Amino acid sequence: MNSRWLLLFALALALGASAADDVAELAHLMDDSSDRKPLQTMVPHYPEKARRQRLTGEVEVCFKVDREGNTSRIAVRRSTHRIFEKPSILAVRASTYFPLDEDQKLPGIKTCRTFRFQLMPVAIEQPQ
Amino acid sequence: MTSTVKHWGLSATVIVCVSCWSFASLGQNARTVIGPTNPALQDGADALLAGDAAEGVRLTLLGLESAGSARDRQTAMSNLCAGYVMLDDLDAALEYCDRVIEENDNRWKAFSNRALIYVKMQRYEEAELDLQRGEAIAPNARTLRAVRAMLLDAIEPVAPNIVIDDRRQPAKDADVE
Repeated sequence: MNSRWLLLFALALALGASAADDVAELAHLMDDSSDRKPLQTMVPHYPEKARRQRLTGEVEVCFKVDREGNTSRIAVRRSTHRIFEKPSILAVRASTYFPLDEDQKLPGIKTCRTFRFQLMPVAIEQPQ
Repeated sequence: MTSTVKHWGLSATVIVCVSCWSFASLGQNARTVIGPTNPALQDGADALLAGDAAEGVRLTLLGLESAGSARDRQTAMSNLCAGYVMLDDLDAALEYCDRVIEENDNRWKAFSNRALIYVKMQRYEEAELDLQRGEAIAPNARTLRAVRAMLLDAIEPVAPNIVIDDRRQPAKDADVE
């Protein structure tokens, strides 16, 4: 396994009340190979229709990050189900990265982010 | 689990299937007249579709009394099943759905409505059977899909889990110039 995989963060975030209905748990996986470091990462909305139909999937979105850390030229590179594409694009559009220092060169390559839309079985207690 | 069913209960009024096909062509010459053969049945269906369950049931009961064909009678009973679901009178609803299916087991709307009743009664195995029978008749019916989702939420609740992966995949490196 490549050494850059050594640094792996799995962050379980407690989300705000408005998002709690949509996202029970979030994991953000990163390594030290990224050219830009995320500043604010927006979580896509899990489409209710997909949840009800028990659809899961994965979307890879590639985009440019400018010097200020804003995203642009967002494009879906790979997708297992179209229903997840729009929320992924919206999430990337609303996400930001740390700005570059003046002496840092703007990388010419695109940044890519993969969203995995998963469903976890939950056990609910019956009230006595 | 109960809370899930209650949550869906609000949606039940829009999930029940209402049949409104009680139209027929009358006359055989150029002066063909088209209209409902059973106005009460049609008005009842319209009321149910408008969300007025009590009025819909009242009119549909009148329509059932004057139903002149098996088709009208089945439509009336199917709509009474739907109407009583909307009124949350599940026992009455089940009785009418049972009667429709007994007469004609090719009515997917009756199976859909009865599956909905079974979900609300927490009789999940029977709901599954009715959904399968309804889906065999109308595989793409949105209403059946909605009821199936209710059943799944009741028996196999799930929570969304989103993973954001920013790791650079080896395959990506080859694409980048």
